[in-house]
This record gives sequence, C-alpha cells and structure tokens, in this order.
Amino acid sequence: MELKKIGIAGTVESSDISIIIEPTDKGGIEISLQSAVMKQFGRQIKEVIEETMKSKGVKNATVRAVDKGAVDFVIKSRTLTALYRSADIDEYKWGE
Amino acid sequence: MVKLRRTMMYVTGNNPANIMDAHLYGSDSIMFDLEDSVSIKEKDAARFLVYNALTTMDYGDTETVVRINGLDTPFGRDDLEAMVRAQPNVIRLPKTETPEDVLEVERIIQEIEEKVGIEVGTTKMMAAIEGPLGAMNAYEIAKSSKRLIGIAIGAEDFVTSIKTTRSSEGIEILAARSQIVLAARAAGIYALDTVFSDINDDEGFINETKLIKQLGFDGKSVIHPRQVSLAHEVYTPTDKEIKNALRVLDAIEEAERSGSGVIALDGKMIDGPIVDRAYRVLELAKATGVYREEDQNE
Amino acid sequence: MYKRDINIRTINLGRNSEKQKIIMFLKDHDLLFEEDIDYTIGVYQEDSLIGTGSLSGNVLKCIAVNGEFQGEGIFNKIISQLINTQYQRGNMHLFVFTGPENKKFFEDTGFREISSVDDKVSLLENDPKGIEKYVENLKRSKKEGAIISSIVMNCNPFTLGHQYLIEKAAKSSDIVHIFLVWEDRSLFPNDIRLKLLREGTSHLDNVIIHKGENYIISNSTFPSYFLKEENTVVKTHATLDIKLFVEYICPVLGINKRFVGREPNDPVTNEYNKAIMKLLPIYNIQVEEIPRLTVGEGVISATKVRKSIKEGNMESLKQLVPMTTYKYIVSDDAKPVIDKIRKDM
Repeated sequence: MELKKIGIAGTVESSDISIIIEPTDKGGIEISLQSAVMKQFGRQIKEVIEETMKSKGVKNATVRAVDKGAVDFVIKSRTLTALYRSADIDEYKWGE
Repeated sequence: MVKLRRTMMYVTGNNPANIMDAHLYGSDSIMFDLEDSVSIKEKDAARFLVYNALTTMDYGDTETVVRINGLDTPFGRDDLEAMVRAQPNVIRLPKTETPEDVLEVERIIQEIEEKVGIEVGTTKMMAAIEGPLGAMNAYEIAKSSKRLIGIAIGAEDFVTSIKTTRSSEGIEILAARSQIVLAARAAGIYALDTVFSDINDDEGFINETKLIKQLGFDGKSVIHPRQVSLAHEVYTPTDKEIKNALRVLDAIEEAERSGSGVIALDGKMIDGPIVDRAYRVLELAKATGVYREEDQNE
Repeated sequence: MYKRDINIRTINLGRNSEKQKIIMFLKDHDLLFEEDIDYTIGVYQEDSLIGTGSLSGNVLKCIAVNGEFQGEGIFNKIISQLINTQYQRGNMHLFVFTGPENKKFFEDTGFREISSVDDKVSLLENDPKGIEKYVENLKRSKKEGAIISSIVMNCNPFTLGHQYLIEKAAKSSDIVHIFLVWEDRSLFPNDIRLKLLREGTSHLDNVIIHKGENYIISNSTFPSYFLKEENTVVKTHATLDIKLFVEYICPVLGINKRFVGREPNDPVTNEYNKAIMKLLPIYNIQVEEIPRLTVGEGVISATKVRKSIKEGNMESLKQLVPMTTYKYIVSDDAKPVIDKIRKDM
C-alpha cells in the first residue's frame, strides 16, 4: 500500500484512539504515542499499530497516536482506516 | 428452544466504548449500526470497527445484528463485503420496499459466501420496513428469502413519508404495525417493533411496549440500556401464564407416555399454536429468571 | 457510557439568536466570542447548552464546558468534533490558544505546548514536531556573518517603504532574513505578496526570504494582530510571538539583530514594535527602528497604496511602489485582487 497524504482516523473520546499517519520516504515506521496507560500498555499499542501497518506493506511513515484506553481491535481498526485514507484507496481487501 | 428477540439494542457503529460493552446490558440482540447514526465521512471507520469487533470480541449468547447501508448508496456493497466475512448472526437491510430489494442483497451475500468459502445460507437477514410501499409489500418481503429471520418496522422515516408525525398513542403507525405482524406471522418469521426515542420517558416506553406486545410483536428495538429491563419486564409472563404452560407440557408428556397421538388438557384437544405458545412462555419466563427448569420438579 | 441524551449541533452563525446564546455562555465562562470564528458547535443535554467550541482557520478556540458536566468526557467530545471538522477541511496542523487552567485537557488530547506567557496564555499545537520541522527547514538557509539581522513584514503589497527598510538593513548587515507574514487574510494573496517581495529585493544578494508560516505573526501565534483587539491582549500575544522568535528561530539562523519600521498609524503594530524593543535586547538581540520613508507630505504605507488603487490614482501609486509592484498591479493577473480592493475598502 502506497501512502499518499496524511491519513487520520479515530477520536480522543474514551476507549478510542486518534491516529495520524504521515508518509515519509525513509526512516521506517516512527510512532509517537501519548497514552494514560503508557507504562503498562505503551509498547503493546505501538506493536499493534506497527503490525497493522506492516500487514499492509507500509514500511515508512510517521505516526502520531493519542490513546484514550483503546483495546487492540480498536487500535487496529483506527490504524487501518487511517492507512486507507492516507493511501486514498476505497477498494478494501477484507479477510486478509 | 425458542429464540427470544424481546430487545434489540442499537449501537452506533463508530463508537468503540459502546461497541465494546453493548452485550453487557442484557438485551437479546445488539444491532451495530453502519447506517443513519454514522456520518458519511466516517462510514469507512465504522465498517472497520464493527468488522474487527465481530471478528475479535466474544458477544456470548447475545445475537449480533449489523444494519448496513442501502445498496442505493456508495457504502452498501462494501458493507456487505465486510460483514458477510465478519459473520454477525444477522444482516439487517434498511428501507426495504420490495421483495427484489431483499433478493438483490441475498444474491450479493451468496456471491460473497461462495467466494470466501462460507456455507451458502449461513448469513441470515432481517428486513426493515420504513415506508408505505414496504408496508404494502410486507408479506411479499417476509416470504422472499429463506434467510430472513424477521421483519422490523422503522417508524421515524415511516411517519414522515405518510405525512404525519409520531404520537405517544402511536395511532399513525397502527396500520403498518398490524400489517407487519400479519406478514411476519403468515411467513413464519419474527416481527420486531421500532424504537422509542425519549429515553427519559419510562412510562411512555412501557406503554408502547405493552401495546406492541399485545399486537403480537416478538420484541422492540431499544436505544439505551435502561430500556432493556423495562421491555423485558413487559414481556415477562405472569404466574398464571407459566402455570398454564407447564400444564400444557405435562399434557404433552402424558400423551407421549401413553403413545396417544392426541394431546388433551381438561378434556380439550391441544394443537400446534398452543404448544408453541407454551414453549415460548417458558422461554420468556426462564430468560427473566421468574422460572427455572428445576422448579418444575419440586 | 451511554449518553445519548447529549448531542452536538453545529451552530448557524448567521442566525443571531443561536449565536447570542453561545456568546452568553462564553461570557459566563469568562471568554469572549471572537469575531474571526468561522465554525461553532454547541453541546446540548436535551435542549440546554452545556458546552461549546469554535474554529478560526487552523485554530481551536472559545471552548468551554458547564462546570456541572466537567469530567464527563464532554470536553473531549468537543475537541474530537472540532478536530474532525478541521481534518475534513484539510487542516491537519492545528493550534490552540488557551489559559493555563485548560492546558492539561488539551495536552491529554494530543496537543503540546510550544510557548507560554506569564501563566496567562499557552500556545499549543497538535504536531509534536511542528515547530521543530519549521526550524529544521530554516536551518538550511543559515549563513555565517557578524551581523545577522531579521525583518518581519506583511507587504500588502510591497512598497517603496518596504524596499527602503530592507535596503537599509542589507547595507549594515552581513545577512538579512526576511519573514513574510504567511496568513491569507490580506487583500493581496500570500503568493503574490511573496512574488512582489522577491522581485523588489532581487538586486540585494544578502537577503534571504522565508515564509513566516504558523510561527511568526500568524493567526495561531498572534490572533489579535488580525482581530485588532484591545491593548492587554495584544501585549500578551505580541510577547508570545516574540518568545517563539527568540526561542526557536533566532538560534538556528544566528540572528542577532532585528529591524522594525516605525509605525505612526496602526496601534496594534505600534504595540508590537514597543514589545520588540523592550524584550529583544534582554535576549541580546539588538533592535533598530527605521523611520518611514516619506513622499510628499506623508510616510509611505501599504494602506496608502491600497487607497490609491481604490481611487484609481495611478500617478500617486507610482510614487509609492517600486516598478515591480506597479507592473503587477496594472497587469491582467491583478484584476481579481484590484476588484476586491475597490469593493472591500
């Protein structure tokens, strides 16, 4: 998946996470995360974001995330939404 | 076992907090909405969220329903692609007007089932009737597909399209409600009632639930957890109803034991609908805890 | 979790009765409804207003929640709605001006403070590397020298006065960095102001031109510059703007001097200049005020240029602007701008 523009999804409401993905040429996936549960879950949240991005073949991007207590499937959903918006694609591949 | 659908709680498809705990409030079904409660700009986000919720969360015994966008919108087809794969128990069609509307969705569902290797027919459907044309075609719609488990009335759009507004007595949708119950019963599927939007008016909600129960509806759509227990209370059978049902069951057992082909109670013959009702009453009683199977043996 | 009786509505600002309710609500929370607001939402429980928030360009402002409902996620609901609206408009880089009492709430929703003044106001942005990126970019045009000076100007449009000020600065400096105010609120659009500034300084080889973007006299760092507000607010905003300049911009370019054009007319610019002259020397940045260039009876100003354009007085115009600006104004390209000036002023 080729990222074309800034893609944003999610909110800062309770149980949600706001994700902003910005395409870059190099430097891998760089995630800056803000979360109230940073100590316990910071690493896990970043892992979910990174795995989701890698599953779509994205190698370089900067990600800004503000977590409000989102569980894994919410993080994954918001990341995917932001990715598709960033790539400007509306043909989805379900079940992959 | 008789499946109960006393309450179907609406859950906005783009709200993680509500999606996560929707099944904790005790409604028989939860309906994740991708349609009216999700803004155009967030359709993609809600679809991802509901898809991943369904493939990740364990909703236990609660029936899961997803209301998709109509096929006449740019979102309906994608909703189906995602939801048939995510496999909620039921996919709900909005604004159904003709049997062809149902068949068109069924055709696409089958296509996706075949494509991804899900047994054809697994995905169940429910059709919401929200306009006068749909109401006139209610029976044709109700019997159009084997996948249909029920039809529902959506009153908000309905009253607008028949040039009126909703009242507390609900006289304006009486004809449509009656039509839908008749159609559902004739087709042998469930009849489900619309929402009651004022969540602070308990009395109004209870009155409306009593009315639709009396009309023959299997249950009501709810928009807030507090409405769940109120509706269940209305649907809870009385002691007398339970006792009657138990006597019917005794009579069935008696008939089986004696090898008699005829079930009789107090000298009167009991036929299909009465037996069905007895089972249903006991399910309703069990669901609200007013009756437990072991009580029977005391 | 289920607060379905709480709903958010967009306020029709064209409808005075709706707007007045927001104004009153803000007043109860010691906030002023600012006239540059272009989008407002209200949060209602049933029909009573319990919160509000607004947008102006890429800035979130005038956000308040009824005390009774604080801590119930209403604030985050408002911020989410405002942010989403911004994204839908294509504004990704957002700013908030806020008092210290609300700073933490914004930080909780992903904003980061970039500067503050005396516990009165904080400026926050939603990009954790926003200003660093701007500064990183500036760094590329860093040049060595003993006197590295700077000028901030709006050039609406570029006049002989601007040219005179820059020439003066260029003569007594090794390098002059010019920051063009980058906010499309002037009659002459951004790219035209930039083009005319470039053309009018092309004969000076020690002048480097930068866009001020969000960080120099912008709607985000200095809203009252555009609102022409009362004195104390202007002073606070001016101080914030100068702090950003000193803390972030001067170090990367090695700036040690700033030139300002004397401002006899506009009180806001005058207040800004006063703040510059007072504050910059504290940070070892020298300030030199240059008197305005005069022609005939008065000083040259962009206001006069626009007046001449409005009146169609080409002779007077020729005396106020360099040839490069004049050529543009009489060209076909300028027609829409000229028409707007004639209509607006």
